[in-house]
Amino acid sequence: MNTASHRSVLANAIFGLLNPLPFGFFAAALIFDILYARTAVVMWNKGAAWLIVFGLLLAVIPRFVNLAQVWITSRRLARPADRLDFWLNLLAIVAAIFNAFVHSRDAYAVVPTGVWLSVCTVILLSAGHVVMAVQPSAAKEFSHE
Amino acid sequence: MNKATLRGVLALAFVALLGGCSGKASYQPAQQSGDAPPLPAARNFLVPPMQVPRYAGWKPGQTPTVAPGLKIEKIASGLKHPRQLYTLPNGDVLVVESNGPGAEPVTTPKQLIANKIKNLSGKGAKGGNRITLLRHNGNAAGEWEKHVFVEHLHSPFGVQLIGDTLYVANTDAIVKFPYVTGETRITTPAVEFTDLPATINHHWTKALAASPDGSKLYVGVGSNSNITENGLEQEYRRAVVLEVEVASAGSRIYASGIRNPTGLQFEPHTGKLWAIANERDEIGADLVPDYLTSVQPGGFYGWPYSYFGQHVDRRVMPQRPDLVAKAIKPDYALGSHVAALGLLFSDSNALPAKYHNGAFVSEHGSWDRSPLSGYAVVHVAFVEGKPVGTPEPVVAGFHSDDESQLYGAPVGLAQDKDGALLIADDVGDAVWRVTAAPPGTP
Repeated sequence: MNTASHRSVLANAIFGLLNPLPFGFFAAALIFDILYARTAVVMWNKGAAWLIVFGLLLAVIPRFVNLAQVWITSRRLARPADRLDFWLNLLAIVAAIFNAFVHSRDAYAVVPTGVWLSVCTVILLSAGHVVMAVQPSAAKEFSHE
Repeated sequence: MNKATLRGVLALAFVALLGGCSGKASYQPAQQSGDAPPLPAARNFLVPPMQVPRYAGWKPGQTPTVAPGLKIEKIASGLKHPRQLYTLPNGDVLVVESNGPGAEPVTTPKQLIANKIKNLSGKGAKGGNRITLLRHNGNAAGEWEKHVFVEHLHSPFGVQLIGDTLYVANTDAIVKFPYVTGETRITTPAVEFTDLPATINHHWTKALAASPDGSKLYVGVGSNSNITENGLEQEYRRAVVLEVEVASAGSRIYASGIRNPTGLQFEPHTGKLWAIANERDEIGADLVPDYLTSVQPGGFYGWPYSYFGQHVDRRVMPQRPDLVAKAIKPDYALGSHVAALGLLFSDSNALPAKYHNGAFVSEHGSWDRSPLSGYAVVHVAFVEGKPVGTPEPVVAGFHSDDESQLYGAPVGLAQDKDGALLIADDVGDAVWRVTAAPPGTP
């Protein structure tokens, strides 16, 4: 079992390192989207488009780690909060994928759809973080699996 | 959330995504031609309609197809992206070999992907940055003599001889050379005549036409974006026709709001300046038709705020109702996304009489549309200085019937001293010559 716990420590480390990044990118994208909607200065729009794409790329690894932990390797230890967090994150990613396409539109065609999709992404991820934060014991057990 | 609900949400999302991708054209280009083209409502897409045939080039002996009663031959091959043609008074033909300077920075994730897809067609191949002179060697059939005429240009497009001075519109400046009739190479260094708007160069071609009296040059300067996505401040002196006084090199904006005026010519009967223009993309397969229009001094033709008169484009912020109200409706639509890139007025020529009195327009072909449109040279008949009827196909067959392969794409047009129609083909790297078929041939 030594190798198994070894692997999960590594997985936890990778997850802990990468998982916060997409949230930051998507939150920044939302701020840029609001600035663009209000000012029509294209720099914000292009910045938001990059933030969403990089947010998605950075989410790939932590999301797969989470998928494996919640549904495969730690299935028996996963709490309802872990599962809810998984689904909230999945929906957030779906919204962000749509948003990346919406942000490929030119100029003000991104508004308002892009802003609302950014709002959805950030709310879903925030909800996931809150759900996990108010279940400290679950999170703890999870990482000491 | 239970799994069934989630599956439902995902299925809906997938359907919405597919819905966003579709957007087949519902009009033929000819149905959207003339002075009152039907215009469907503008749409926004998740992925704009895109269809790009893959580069194949011409097989030996293969040629574009011509309308009945016409004959086509290749007079030059192995060129480096020939974009523009110009016939000198002695019958020599200049071929401008050029493509964009490739200096537009990638500032959005979309550009990374879209550029790769668009370049599959061979339209993005590197240009020669030079002008080649073609000379017809007596009565010999086959390809014409080829001479490297001018080298080391910077994405040249328009070329114009006034007196003994040859003006070449590089993407960033008009330069001039002394020209001696009959010479096959200019070694004199270029002298800058006047600079041209050259930031970003999203649309890089600078079309050139001289007024009939040779006192003015008209320069077509395309916009720096599809629809202001690079910022309105980048559109200074963009999407305009500039008028440059030959004596002083001083310039002014002659007309504005023309998104990408890629061909300028004077209509021979009325002496009025006409332009072909490429309209905006990504709001539908049937929007917005490219057009042919007379250019009124001081006229505003809508870009970016509106198209075909008062059809407002909501992608532009801030909106300008005052300018929309002023926007002139172009005279003649050519069809959506056909990419008109060559214009030639011809009163009389070596083609049958139905191709006299009108304008030839070459259509480089679409990327933002399914099925493809353009990829043809058409003739627009003129009566009393005004275009009439629908565009008549003259030369076609530039792509395979299944639209998967691209052999060539027509760009610059010229008429040689025998009245034949010459066509630059920047994908097939050739120059084609069209004449009437000898009597008795099918």
